[in-house]
Amino acid sequence: MLEFDGLYKTYGTNRVLEGVSFTVAPGSMFGFCGSNGAGKTTTMRIAMGLLRAEAGEVRWQGRSLDQATRRRIGYMPEERGLYPKMKVGEQVAYFARLHGLDRAAATRAAGEWVERLGLGERRGDQVEKLSLGNQQRVQLAAALVSRPEVLILDEPFSGLDPIGVDSLAEALLGQVREGVPVVFSSHQLDLVERLCDSVGILARGRMVATGSVDDLRRREAGRLLRVVVPDAAPQWAGGLPGVRVVSEQAGDTLLELAAGTDDQTVLAAALRTGRVTHFAWQQPTLVELFREAVAAPALQEVAA
Amino acid sequence: MTEPRDVGSAAMVRLVAGREISARVRDKNFIISSVVIILVLVGLLGFQVAVNSGSEQTRVGVAGDSAGLPQALEAQGEALGIDVTVVELADEAEARAAVDDEEVDGALLTGAAPELLVRESADGSLQAVVQGAVGQLALADQLAEAGITSLDVPEVAVTALDPDADTDGQRVVVAIIGIAVLYSLLILFGQFVAQGVVEEKASRVVELLLATMRPWQLLAGKILGLGVLGFAQILLIAVVGVAGALAFDIVDIPGDVVSTAVAVVGWFVLGYAFYAAVFAVAASLVSRQEDLGTVVMPTTLVLVVAFIVGIQAAANPDGTLAVVTSYVPGLSPLVMPVRQAAGEVAVWEVGLAVVLMLVAIALIVRLGGRVYAGALLRTSGKTKLREALRAERA
Repeated sequence: MLEFDGLYKTYGTNRVLEGVSFTVAPGSMFGFCGSNGAGKTTTMRIAMGLLRAEAGEVRWQGRSLDQATRRRIGYMPEERGLYPKMKVGEQVAYFARLHGLDRAAATRAAGEWVERLGLGERRGDQVEKLSLGNQQRVQLAAALVSRPEVLILDEPFSGLDPIGVDSLAEALLGQVREGVPVVFSSHQLDLVERLCDSVGILARGRMVATGSVDDLRRREAGRLLRVVVPDAAPQWAGGLPGVRVVSEQAGDTLLELAAGTDDQTVLAAALRTGRVTHFAWQQPTLVELFREAVAAPALQEVAA
Repeated sequence: MTEPRDVGSAAMVRLVAGREISARVRDKNFIISSVVIILVLVGLLGFQVAVNSGSEQTRVGVAGDSAGLPQALEAQGEALGIDVTVVELADEAEARAAVDDEEVDGALLTGAAPELLVRESADGSLQAVVQGAVGQLALADQLAEAGITSLDVPEVAVTALDPDADTDGQRVVVAIIGIAVLYSLLILFGQFVAQGVVEEKASRVVELLLATMRPWQLLAGKILGLGVLGFAQILLIAVVGVAGALAFDIVDIPGDVVSTAVAVVGWFVLGYAFYAAVFAVAASLVSRQEDLGTVVMPTTLVLVVAFIVGIQAAANPDGTLAVVTSYVPGLSPLVMPVRQAAGEVAVWEVGLAVVLMLVAIALIVRLGGRVYAGALLRTSGKTKLREALRAERA
């Protein structure tokens, strides 16, 4: 298990992390979501020993991470970084050696990864001569070359074209199949939804939601009702007791029902407006879950 | 595939150093600067050889009755420190031809009214030699006619009060060339270190590096790797310089030249350790190559001052300025070698300067290491020294 346990971090008076905890099982992919500045990068940097948490720790297999165990982690920082003038193959081999491979093994592993990521012909080129997408692949090779036990990737998909996204996703799934726990942060929630076994949503320094996407859905489900009434006048549902109109667009209405509100009253009201072409409980997308999770405490703050 | 093992500190530092070396020896700037330094050195040697061999040599032609004249001319030349070669010429016509063809610098026509033929004008020394020789011969003739055959002229004995001055001078010249090379290499390699640090920050690769190693390991590897190259370069220069100087016979005192060269190489090691650490720490405060100039400027200025004081020390090795600065860490590498070359430095003085320098290096590495660690991950703009110290691994 990779455990993030109660991380606290402040910069001056700015409290960035206030007890961030989550666990990632071996062989599973964890999507780390949160708005900009929520503290995702800080959390990952603490795991990599680049920042020191005021409280809490990160454990792998029950042991607190130290310099030696961190070498067993493949890391991709948010700000990509490679030596611009170093050749692709040598660069990847260098990072393999920094992670503890001996010279021969490092050269061999670098060759394999460069080949596997489709950079075989560019092996002898300086990194700065590669396109951005290819540089990203070298970055990935640098993270994977030492056969890490854990992968921590900060925004690995940003800046990739759809084909690049697919091949990176494939590579990560391959790692997961080999039993590696993978944590990655992303703003591309559709990707997170598609790839991840579990997600965590970070807002204002706290994990506001963690669990599998299905879990989160179930938690939210039964509250949102989508009703499509093409002939209805605007604000048709406004007066119904226990019902809040989340959105309304040309009769396509999303309603939030308070607990105890009978959905059949809503249906009856809808039928009174004319045709009803759609009436169903909404399966929220991750985007909606995310909005909900991130927005809710803000409303409470306003209320308080 | 072999399983990765834990990497010790020493192995980490070696890895970083190895990368620095292999990256640098393929760098055009490094190759060009090395070649230029060696070429300048060889050029200097060649220039010295040319200047030495071109030392005053005068060919004088003698036409007519020349009994005793060649010997007299040569003796005069020796007295005046001029290398005189006498060429016997048959008659005036041949003398004129020889002067015209510049076979000789001047031709003397003997007789009752001796005449010196020259092409354009007789330089002072030629005229003095000829005048002296002719005069001496005439004087001897007239004395002989007057019946005086032997004249008791007291020989002036020469006693040198400072017989080492000449060799000291040579050693000081070697020391000046030495500190000039040392100064250039300190600036050059200091810049390499600074550029390397900023390159890692600017390209953000430093975050990936620090995920596998401690900041001090990165700093040590970088300084050591470039240091090995710098040391190899100054060693090469010292060997080429000393061997060249000995081979072309530019210096008379091989032992002293070698000891001065050794001192310069030794001080390079200390000076490099000091300045490389300072340059690295300064560079860690900025994130773009464009900002590098302003942060390394103060250190570069210190080096320039040290160089100027070093040159000044050559003129006045026992002056207060030279003595005091030869102990000051940072200045000592460029001043002490000059004082050592000029002699008059006790072993304890050199020892004290070395110890002070080592203490300074230890302090810089300790304090600088903290600044470096604190500033490395701040990749936006310029970090203040105090912030960096406070932020160390915060």
